Order: sequence, then structure tokens, then C-alpha cells
Amino acid sequence: MKSQKSILKLVSAIITLAVFLTACASATTPVADHATQQPAANGSTATEAPAQSPASIAKVTVTYWHSMSNPETEQFNKVIAAFEAANPDITIESTRYASDDNSFQNAMVTAMSSKTFPDAARMDIAWVSQYAADGVLMPLDGQMSDFNAISKAVFPGPLSTNFYQGHYYGLPLDTNTQVLLWNKQVFQAAGINEPPKTLTEFADVACKLSDKNKEIYGYAQGGTYFWASAPIFYAMGGKIVDDKQTTATGYINGPQSVAAFTMLKSLYDKGCMSPNLLGGGIATDAGHGEGKYAMIIDGPWMVDKYKSMYPDFQTNFALIPTGPDGTTSSVVGGEDVVIFNSAKNKEATMKWLSYLMSPDAQRIMAEVGIMPTLAGLQNDPALPPYFGIFMEQLKTAQARVPHPKWSQMDDAINQAYQRILLGEQPVQASLDQAAEEINALLK
Amino acid sequence: MRKFFSNGWTYFFLLIGLAVVWLPLWYMLATSFKTQSAIFEVPPRLWPNPFTIQNYVDVLTTNHFDRYFFNSVKVAAGTVTLTLLVSSMLAYVFARVKFRGRDTLFSILLLGMMVPPVMLIIPQFIVASWLSLFNNHWGLILVYTTMNISMQTFLLRGVFELVPRDLEEAAFIDGADSWTVFLRIILPLSKPGLAVVIINSFLYSWEEFAWAQILIREESLRTLPIAIANYQGEHLTEWGHVFAATMIALIPVILIYLIFQRNFVQGIATTGLKG
Amino acid sequence: MRAQSKHQLTSQRFFHDVLPTIIFLLPGFGLFFLFMLGPMGYSLRMSFYNWNLANPEMSTWVGFDNYIKALNDPVFRHAVLNTLIYTIITVSVQMVLGLCVAVLLNQQIRGRAFFRVSYYFPVITSWVIVSVLFEYLFNGQVGLVNYVLKDVLHITTTNLRWFIDDRLFFVPMTLLAIWKGVGWTTIIYLAGLQAIPAELYEAATVDGANGWQRFRFITLPLLRTTLVYLLIVLVIGGLNAYVSFFLITNGGNPLDRTHSILTWMYKVTFLKRDFGYGAAISYWLTLFVFLISLLQLKLLQKTADY
Repeated sequence: MKSQKSILKLVSAIITLAVFLTACASATTPVADHATQQPAANGSTATEAPAQSPASIAKVTVTYWHSMSNPETEQFNKVIAAFEAANPDITIESTRYASDDNSFQNAMVTAMSSKTFPDAARMDIAWVSQYAADGVLMPLDGQMSDFNAISKAVFPGPLSTNFYQGHYYGLPLDTNTQVLLWNKQVFQAAGINEPPKTLTEFADVACKLSDKNKEIYGYAQGGTYFWASAPIFYAMGGKIVDDKQTTATGYINGPQSVAAFTMLKSLYDKGCMSPNLLGGGIATDAGHGEGKYAMIIDGPWMVDKYKSMYPDFQTNFALIPTGPDGTTSSVVGGEDVVIFNSAKNKEATMKWLSYLMSPDAQRIMAEVGIMPTLAGLQNDPALPPYFGIFMEQLKTAQARVPHPKWSQMDDAINQAYQRILLGEQPVQASLDQAAEEINALLK
Repeated sequence: MRKFFSNGWTYFFLLIGLAVVWLPLWYMLATSFKTQSAIFEVPPRLWPNPFTIQNYVDVLTTNHFDRYFFNSVKVAAGTVTLTLLVSSMLAYVFARVKFRGRDTLFSILLLGMMVPPVMLIIPQFIVASWLSLFNNHWGLILVYTTMNISMQTFLLRGVFELVPRDLEEAAFIDGADSWTVFLRIILPLSKPGLAVVIINSFLYSWEEFAWAQILIREESLRTLPIAIANYQGEHLTEWGHVFAATMIALIPVILIYLIFQRNFVQGIATTGLKG
Repeated sequence: MRAQSKHQLTSQRFFHDVLPTIIFLLPGFGLFFLFMLGPMGYSLRMSFYNWNLANPEMSTWVGFDNYIKALNDPVFRHAVLNTLIYTIITVSVQMVLGLCVAVLLNQQIRGRAFFRVSYYFPVITSWVIVSVLFEYLFNGQVGLVNYVLKDVLHITTTNLRWFIDDRLFFVPMTLLAIWKGVGWTTIIYLAGLQAIPAELYEAATVDGANGWQRFRFITLPLLRTTLVYLLIVLVIGGLNAYVSFFLITNGGNPLDRTHSILTWMYKVTFLKRDFGYGAAISYWLTLFVFLISLLQLKLLQKTADY
């Protein structure tokens, strides 16, 4: 009957659609050969596509996640290209997430829920212990053949961020710290030729260079998260917890920590520090580049950032001004590279890691402001000259608390700082509360 | 038609309202032509000086914006087609076929309109990866369609119910089957309603952010909203670039709107009011 | 697919009527079960556990604890308050303004279509775009709004920090939603207005009714279906506010005071990784929306007897 024929037509149409659907789904595991997708920058020639080589070579894909900035990602393609040229049987599939914490951590959460982790990832040093505690990372010591060689070649501080309960769960890929950036033009216009050397000077200069009514400030912080205040905090002698990570009492709310936050609070109240840190204002980099913020504290990536946004701007770096005891300090940042337990091709992934930790790869990334962790590269001529001051600062920089629950501790300090700035709690009481909250996390 | 006010006052109020509506859009457009330094200048200007198209050039030539644009077009096309197909088929049954449990089934469908999409992201991701759909545009299309089904079916049911039955009856008597009636009679008479569905599903797909961010891993498969968000980096808010990207992203939206808008108001009239 | 009076399931009936019905229903409900009901069920299940995402089998049952936790959670309560205030403001303003514009547009004036298209334009821009735009307009240091208020109109003496004050932030947030949504309410109203027969007005005028009386006794009552529909949709939309809050308040900044219910749910789920609790929060919202919709539907039933 006519109706039956058309019903059969419909059914077969749906079946075809379903088949098409699944065929489409399985066929789409793109061989992401970034070497050929990106236009070769600076005529780098090593962009022959290994993916187009004959099918006789068994190809293995290593997936890699990161959240590098745009210029860094562009540069990274050279690293991938070089590796693939040397290892034609391995393809690197690199996925970039936006630099804010949300995207990357989100992706981690969904990966966890469906057990679809990448093989390897570049992640903030503060997160490694958290994922190690979750049991999703592969311990590298004892598994990677060249682990011992590499670990001896890197700076010990960054290496230690990978340590958790007896094993190393990653390798330090890059390190960084923050130093003082001061706008020479703004300074000289006010008759000051040198950046402040002590924190007392710093506070004076910040106020001198501020004009609240014109939204011009001597100093600005990127936000109220700990990373932003850490350099001044550490330079003032502040500490979060004791070395054995047993308690925060007497440390985060100890006299030096209180002094640090008191200073920041007074700068804020007097209109010497921009209110942008609480949100809704001008970001620190734009503000600094525009001459609205005379001083900010930030990292080596600023050079490349300013190259594209404010090409005429000249960055001037200085060490973090010294605290009451005459020493400077700052905070250690950086990224580690980790391998997940679920990695399908551990051999290939470990090869990739070894390459990332090689002098070649680290030199390539150094060109865009990513500082190497290999001690041997310290005085390498290929490194940009401005690395010098960061290396110098790294000597006295301190790491944040290497604990799986660090992000919640960060939150506690963050909120304490906000309460302080908003005037809801005096500094001591606010930090006392933070101490309590951190103690609960340390258990 | 009745007049409440004289024409003069009417125009006056309408024009003020228009200015309020257009001012932010104009400001966005103007800012997209400003240089980075000009963006933070005080006093802020309503017309860029110096005028530059560099933002547009940058957006179009770097970071694969064209690829994100193309991906968004692809996903939107798929979503619109599938949504039209699926929800019209559902609506037809609910409008014309009586069977036991029909109203219950329809109420279940309406449940879909009450659920905040954000809460479903993780379990949807688990389902999608179980079906090998992660990192795949079909994963976007299928979920976007699903999220739209409830509303669009509800709309179309109202539209279909208004189609006079005699045409269908005549067709059945002539021996036509349901599929033919559906295609040749119901659909053509419901064009305004279908236009609404097209616009709704297109807009949803074009601007969806959270699910696209999570499902698509491969950078070359990402969609536009992600590109715009990327320009809002952590440290530097490149407003000029953000707004240039925004303007470019608005072009298809404007096009679709202008093409279908004549049908649109008509469509709202027949669909928006059915209980 | 005709309504059948016979109840026998002959094979002809099956192929003629039942099979097509099933086929027509299958794709839609297939998708719906797969991507909507299934995940909803999973989410519901999560809400009763202290859910361990990496190893679900290790999750511990906590019954209604997560739900009670929400009620005792000061941040959740504040988020509910924020969302309610936001909803009340945006819904009422949109409904009033939309009606005004619709009434104006319902006149026989030239350029009606142009106005209609223009007013509707913000509706089709995305929440992402509008949020970014308003973030810029209300920037605490160089925003246009601050400039106008301080340097042009001299209403304020300092730049207002809109986004860090848990009361001030309502201004940009609600304005954003109103600006984006008024066009839509206008169009819906217009459709409703155009359905009112002109003769009613003519008759009323003949009887000596003035403009306001015509409005009160003819327009409003006959718009009741429209009004209820708008109320339902706008309220659901308001309660589900997410993207604008997410992008602008940056996670309830400061001190988790500027959350909407959904942004708090997001933070709990993705940043604090307390999946069971996040699921419970989202179900509280779902329940709330469901109840309100039921209530309003009852209202609609009553008025449908016109």
C-alpha cells in the first residue's frame, strides 16, 4: 500500500541518518597536525607534516593540554614541530584552554567525570598536589628512564612543587616570579629617577604618584587573590603556614603578615592603590601601559604582551623593594608538566616530556618570556636579557603552600583580604579568621 | 486604530526609547574602531578619534577566528535543521493524534523548559562521551537541539492546531499518508511559526557558550563565543578586539533576523499565546 | 493518523496509524531521554550523595543533607535573595515598559516597522555580548556611565564602583536584562493588542469612554492571556539568570555576595568540586521554577475562560 511504502521510506531514512551519525562521530578524531595548520612563522622550515607520511609507520598520538597565551601558543608550535620531526611516529595533539582558571579546571572536572583525561598536561604548580591526591597522576620517578638525570638538571625549588607523599608526579616545565614594573616616564615626570628600594619608600612613592580624582594611581594589584599580594607579603616577612604544614596560627596572622596587609590596606584607603583589584576597573597591564598605574608587580610575560598591545612602551623592571629586615623576596610561580594514569601510550608520552625538558625546547619557549627550569641554561646567551632580573629575584622568591587543598587556602586569604579592603574586619581579626579556615584545611 | 496620544507625542517617546536602545550598540560599534589607548581615555568619546580598523584586521587574521566563525555556522545550520525536523514531527503528533497518555507525555516534554541547562553539563558530558560524541560538532548539535525541543514543540503545536482540518481530511480521503500530509499541507501553512523556530534555534546555537567550551577539545573545532571570551584574557581586556569580534559575530544574526523578521511578528502572534 | 473509533489493533491500523506516530515521536523523545531526562536523573542521583566524581562508586549516601545544607548556607540564601530581587525588578519593568512601547507602536504611524525592528534588536544579541558591553559601560574607572554621572550631570562626585557593591551591582545587572528584553515583550504585547477587535474601541468611544478608560476596561482584560504568558516566561528567565552574572560578577565577587543561584551552583560544582551539593542547589531552583510555573498556569486556566 502507498502508506506502507512511505513508512518504509521513512524508517530507512532514519536508519540512514543514524548510521551517518555514528560514522561521522567515529571519523572525527582529527589528526591535529599543528605544524601544517599554522602558517610557518619566521620561515621555520621544520613544518613538514609527518602526518602525511605513508601509513606504514604506526602513528601514535599524544594529547597535551595547556593554557598558554596567544603568543606563547604560536611559539609552542615550533616545539611541537621539532619534536614531530625527530619522532615521526608520534603526533602531538595539543589543546589550548583560555588562560583563566575556570576553563582549564572545568575541563579537568569533565575529564574526570568521563575519564577522558589527556595523556599529558601543563598545569600550574599549585595544582599538581591536588591532582596527585586525586590519584589521577602518574608518579614519574622510577618510571621515566631519564627522570634522575632531568631532576638533577633543574632548579630544586620548582622541582619540589611536584613532590607529593614520597613521589614526584611531574617535572617543572617553567618557572617564574614577579618583580616590580615601574613606568619610567611617569616617575621622571614627578622628578623621581630610581625605583623604590625599600617598602617604606615604595609606599611613599605610590602615594606621591597618585591622583585619585584622575584615576591615576601609584600602584595597582591584579586582584585580591594571593598571587597578587604575595611578593609584598613575602618581602615583609609574612608566612602562611609553618614549614611542616601543621598550623597557620601565628603565621598567616602573625605580626609580619599583619604588617603586610596593613600596609596594603592603608595604601588602598589613601587612594594610592587602584580600586580595580576588587573588580570592575582597569586591568593592571592596560593601566600600566597607559601610564595610569605607575607601578605594578608582574612577571616576565609582560614584555611580549606589551610588544603586541603597546609596542612603544618600555618595560622597566626592578627587584621587589626590601622589607623591614632589609631583604627582598617574591613568590615562585610556574608550570609543571604531568602525565595522567590513563595515558594510553606512556612510552611516547614520556618521550614528549623528555623533549619538553630539553635545553632545545626550553630555549625556544624562552624567546617569548617563558623561563627555563634547567639550571644549565641560566647564563645561556639565547635567553632574553630581561630574564636577568627575574633569575636574580628567584634566588629569594618563596613558594606558596604545596598542599592539595591550596586553592581553598587561597580562597580563605582572598576573602580575608576583601574583608580588610571593604573595611568589614580589622586586619588582625580578618587574618585570624583565615588562620582558622586554613587550619581546618590542613587536617 | 485607536489613538491614545497625538502623533507628535508618540513619535517623541518612541524616538527617546530608540535612542536608549541604540546608544549602547553605537558605543560598542564606535569602540571597535578605537585604538587600545583610546579605549581608556577620559572623557570617553562617542566617535573614535583616531579611527582605526586594526581591531578588525587583527581579529580576522589571528587566532583562527575565521575557523571559529565557520564552525559556528556549521553547528548552527545543523541545529536549526534538526530542531525544525524533530520538533515539528513531535508537534504534529501532539496537535493531531489522540492517544492515551498524550497529555502526560506532553507535560514531560515541558519539563525541559524548567531545567537550568547549566546543571546538566556534567551528566550530559558523560552521555556524550559514551556515544563517542565528544570533541565533535554533532555533540553540540544534538544537545542544542535537545535543549530547544521543549520550547519549539510547544510553539509549533499551537501553530499546527490552527491549521484547518478539512484540508487534511480531504487529503486522507484521497489516500495520502501521514508523512505527505505533514510535508505538503501542515508545514507550508505554518511558515510563520517555522520562522520563529528557525530564529530561536539559530540564536541559541550561535551564542551558546558553556557547553561548547566543555565539549569541544580540539581548538580548530571551537565556536565563536569562545573566541570572543578568549579576547577577554585574564590580565588584559582588549575591548577593541572584543567589540570588533562581537560585531563580526553579529552579522549573521542580523542577516537571519532581517530575512525572517517579516514572518516573525506574524509567527509570534500565532504561537505566543496558546496555553 | 485519524482518530479511530475502533479499538482493534489490525495490522493495517498499526502500519497506518500507530507506526507513523511512533516514528514521529521517536527522534524527539530519543534525544530528550538521552540528553535531558537521563542527565536530569543522574544529577538527581548525585544530589543524594557526597559525590566522588573520579570514582563514583565510592560516593557516600547522605540523603537530604545536601538540600538542608543549601537552606543553611548563607551564600545560597544571599544568592536566592539576589535572584529574587533581580527577577522582580526586571520582570516588572519589562512588563510595564514593553506595554508602553507596544501601545505606542500600535498606532497608525509611519515607520512602525522600522521602530519594531529596532526595538527588537537587543533581543537577538547574545548575553555574552551584552554582558561585555555593560561591563564596559559601567566600568568603575573609565566607564561612560560614570563619566556622564560625574562630569556631565554632576550627580555624583566620585566614580561609582558598580560591580563591587552588593547593592549597586543591581543597577547594571537589571538594566542589562531590561535593555535586552524589552523588545521581546513589546512584540508579544503587540500581537496581543492586534488581536483585540477595533469595534470594541469604537463602541466604547461612542459610549463616551476616554483613552484611559478604554485602556482599563478593554485593553487590559483582553490582554490577560498575554500578561500571564509574559509573566511566566520572564519569571523563569529571571530565576535562571546565569551568563550575565557569571561574566560580570566574576564568581560572586566580592565575598560571594553578588551571586545568582546558578552562578553559586557553578562555583560549588566546578571550583569547590562538591558535586552532590551543586546538584541539590540546582534541584532547589528547578523545584522553585516548577512551583511558580504551576501557580501561573493555574492563573492562566482561570483566565482562559474568556
